[in-house]
Amino acid sequence: MKSGRRNRVLSAFILLTALAMIVSACGGNNNAGQNGGNQGTNDPQTNTGGGNNAPAGSALEQAYNGDFKGTKVTMFGPFTDADEVKFTESIRAFEETTGIDIAYEGSKEFEATISVRVNGGNAPDIADFPQPGLLRGFVKDGKVIDVSTFMSEEHLKRQYNQSWLDMASMPGPNGDVMAGVWARSSVKSLVWYNKPEFEAAGYTVPKTWDELMTLTDQIAQDGDPAWSIGIESGAATGWPATDWLEDIMLRTTTPENYDKWVAGELPFTDDIVKNAVKRMSEIWFNDDYVYGGRKAIATTSFGDAVRPLFDNPPKAWLHRQAGFITSFFPEGLSADNYDWFPLPPINAEYGQPALISGDIYAMFNDRPEVRAVMEFFTTAESLKTWIQSGGVTAPMNDADPAWYPNEQERRMAEFLQTADTIRFDGSDLMPGSVGAGTFWKGMTDYVSGTADLDQAMQQIQTGWK
Amino acid sequence: MRKKGPRRSKWLINTVLAVICIIWFVPTLGLLVSSFRPAADILQTGWWKIIPHRDWAAVDTITLDRETDLRQPITVNGVTFSDAQLREGVVQDGNRLVWENRRARTISVQEKQWVMMTNFTLQNYQTVLGGKSYQITMPDGGTKTEQGSGMSQSFWNTLAVTVPATVIPIFIASFAAYAFAWLRFPGRKLFFIIIIALLVVPLQVALIPILRDYTSLGLNGTYFGIWLAHSAFGLPLITYFMYNSISQLPKDLFESAFMDGATNFTIFSRLILPLSVPALASISIFQFLWVWNDYLVSLIFLGSQPNVQVMSMKIANLVGSRGNDWHLLTAAAFISMLMPLAVFFALQRYFVRGLLGGSVKG
Repeated sequence: MKSGRRNRVLSAFILLTALAMIVSACGGNNNAGQNGGNQGTNDPQTNTGGGNNAPAGSALEQAYNGDFKGTKVTMFGPFTDADEVKFTESIRAFEETTGIDIAYEGSKEFEATISVRVNGGNAPDIADFPQPGLLRGFVKDGKVIDVSTFMSEEHLKRQYNQSWLDMASMPGPNGDVMAGVWARSSVKSLVWYNKPEFEAAGYTVPKTWDELMTLTDQIAQDGDPAWSIGIESGAATGWPATDWLEDIMLRTTTPENYDKWVAGELPFTDDIVKNAVKRMSEIWFNDDYVYGGRKAIATTSFGDAVRPLFDNPPKAWLHRQAGFITSFFPEGLSADNYDWFPLPPINAEYGQPALISGDIYAMFNDRPEVRAVMEFFTTAESLKTWIQSGGVTAPMNDADPAWYPNEQERRMAEFLQTADTIRFDGSDLMPGSVGAGTFWKGMTDYVSGTADLDQAMQQIQTGWK
Repeated sequence: MRKKGPRRSKWLINTVLAVICIIWFVPTLGLLVSSFRPAADILQTGWWKIIPHRDWAAVDTITLDRETDLRQPITVNGVTFSDAQLREGVVQDGNRLVWENRRARTISVQEKQWVMMTNFTLQNYQTVLGGKSYQITMPDGGTKTEQGSGMSQSFWNTLAVTVPATVIPIFIASFAAYAFAWLRFPGRKLFFIIIIALLVVPLQVALIPILRDYTSLGLNGTYFGIWLAHSAFGLPLITYFMYNSISQLPKDLFESAFMDGATNFTIFSRLILPLSVPALASISIFQFLWVWNDYLVSLIFLGSQPNVQVMSMKIANLVGSRGNDWHLLTAAAFISMLMPLAVFFALQRYFVRGLLGGSVKG
C-alpha cells in the first residue's frame, strides 16, 4: 500500500514537471517568433534602404498618432534605484500617449553584461552607455544602427550643439556613423562649498587659479583644511582623481592636446601631463590643505568626502565633484545651504573650460517603434521630470531653463553654454584597459604613495598597449 | 599513554574547529550589528563599540584666544603643545586635550569613561523589505513620493527559480547515477568519464554560446531557460555525488529484488531512493544554496526585469546608482540568508550522514 502511494506521488511529480516544461516551452516559442523577426533587420546595412522609404512624417509623429500601440521596446542601462525611478517617471507620459511599452532593465553590471548580450545575439533594442569608449567597440563591429539613417541632419543639429554631435560620431565598418543620441549629461568642473558658512567666514569665490590657491592657504591659516577629497569607489577606486587631472589638463594645455591625450597620441609620460599632475599634487599632497591629509584621500569614499563640508562647524570647505554629488549631501539640506563655482582657469589663454560626462543611447535593433523612441530621446521632453527632480543637465537645446529645480542647477546648464571649451570626461573615452583600468589604478598608487610620478605615469601608459 | 592519545587529538580538533568558527562568526556578527545601526553611525564608529569599553568623553572645553597662530607652539594652561599634538590628542594628568574646533580655537578636555553604543534602528530592514521611497518632482511643480518595490516579488521569483532548479537536476542525476552504478550498457565507462571531465569545465566558458542558442530558441528571460541552465551546470557534480552514494549500496539487495521479479524502475523507486535519502538531502542543500546565491547565471540568462528579477540582483541594485545606499546591504544580506538557513536546518539531520555518503566503503 505504502509503496503504491509513493509510486503515484512519483508519477504525479513527473507529470507535473513535464507539464511545467511544456508550458514554459510554449511561452518561449512566442518570444522566439518575435526575436526571429528582429534578427532579419539586425544588420544596419540592410536597413538604410528601408529608412529612406519610410512614409512621410517621422517615426515619432507616427508614434504620437498611435501607430505603434501595443509594441514593446526593450532598453538596457546602468541606472538602477532612484535613477531608474526618475527615468521611468520621465517616459511615462510618452508611453501613455503612444501606447509603446519601454521595458527598461537596469543592472549594476551593465558594462560587463552588455558585451555578453550583444555577442550572444540578445542585444536590447536600446542601450544606455555612460562611457562612449565602450560603445565605440560595438560601432566598429557594425552592431550599432546609424541613427542618421532615419533622423534628418537638421533635426539633430537643431537639438544638439555641434560638439555633442561630434562626440556621437564614431568610426563604423564603412565610415563614420552617428552612433547614438545624447541624453542626461552632468557637468564635472564644479567646486562645491557650504554657502552660509563660506559667506560668514568672509571668503570670496575665486576667479583664477591663483585666487583659489590663496583662498586654500587662507583657510589653512584659519585652522581648517580647505579641501575634502576622496577617491575610494570599490573596484573603480581612483576615478575622481582622473577627473581632477582631466580638469587641470584642460586648463594647462590646448584642447587639441587634450584630444590627442584622450586618443592615446600624447603619452601620459609627456611633460604636459606630468605638469598637470604636479599642479594637482600642490593641493593633494599638502597635509594642511586636505582633510585627513594625503593618506586619507585613497581610503575616503568619494560619496562620503563631501560630508565634512556640512558638519557643524565645517571640517573642510571645498569639494570638486560633478553635479550628481547633491544626492550624497546629508539629508535635510536645502538649496540655500550649498553652492558651487567653476574650477577656475589656470592659464588665461585657454579660457574657462568645462569637463562633462553624459549618457549616449545607442540602438541595436531597427524597428519603427524603436526609431520613434530614439527620436523621442532627442527631445528635452524625455528628460523633463528628471531635470525637475534634480541631478541632471539636459544636453538638448530645447530644455526650458525654468525646469531646473534650483538656481544652482540652472547655472550648470548656463555654464555649459558659456564655457570656452567643452570636453568629455577623458577616462570614459579611453579604451577600458586605460580609462577604467591603469588610469584609475595608477592615480591611486600615486596618491597613496606606492608609486612616484614617473612610475605612475609609466604604469598608466602600459594600458595603451 | 594510550588513553591520552585520542583525547589530545580531540582537544586539537576542537581547538581548530573553534578557531574556524570564530573566523567565520566574527564578521557575520559585525554584519548583523551593523544592519541595526544608522548609516551615519557606521561611518563614525566600528560595530565593536557596542561592547562596553573605556573611551574618552568630553568633560570640559578650553577656549583660546581667537588670534592664536596655529603654526607656532600653542600654550594651553601654561603648557606648550604643537598643533600636530593637539590634532592627535595629547594626554596630560590622565586628561586628554584635543582640538574641538580648530577654527574657533576651542580645545576639548576629555576623561576616560565607560561607554557603549546604544543607538539602534530597524530602518534598514524596513527599507529593504518595504522598498525605498523616492521624491519625484512633477511637471506641475508639486512633488510626488514614489514607493519602490520591496523584496517580496523578488523573493517569490527566487523561489520559482530555485526549487525547480534544485529538483530537476537531482531527479535526473539520480536516474543517471543508478544506471552508471548498476546497469551494464556499452559505453558506460566512457560516458561516466565524460561526466567527470565536465566537472572541471568552468561554467563561464559556456555563457556566450548558450546565450546564442537561447536567443534563437527564445529562452532568454524565461524561468524555463534558467532551470535548464542551472540543471545543466549542476548535473555533473550531482551525478557524481549520487553515483558515489548509490554504488555503495550492497549488491545482494538488488540481486534478490531482481530474482523476485522487480524491474529496474521498481528497484530504483522502492530501494534506491529510500536508501539514499541522506545523500539526496545533502546534495539538495548544496544545489539549493548554489542556486539561491547565484548572481552570474541569473544575470546572463534571466536579466533583471522586475517580473523575473531574483533576490541577488535586487540586493545588488539596492546600493543605488552610485553606491550611496551601501548600508542597506547588511540588512538585505540577512534577509536573503533566512531561506537557505531554514532549508539547512530542515535537512541538516541528514547532512552529516550524507557528507560521508561518498567516502566510506559500505
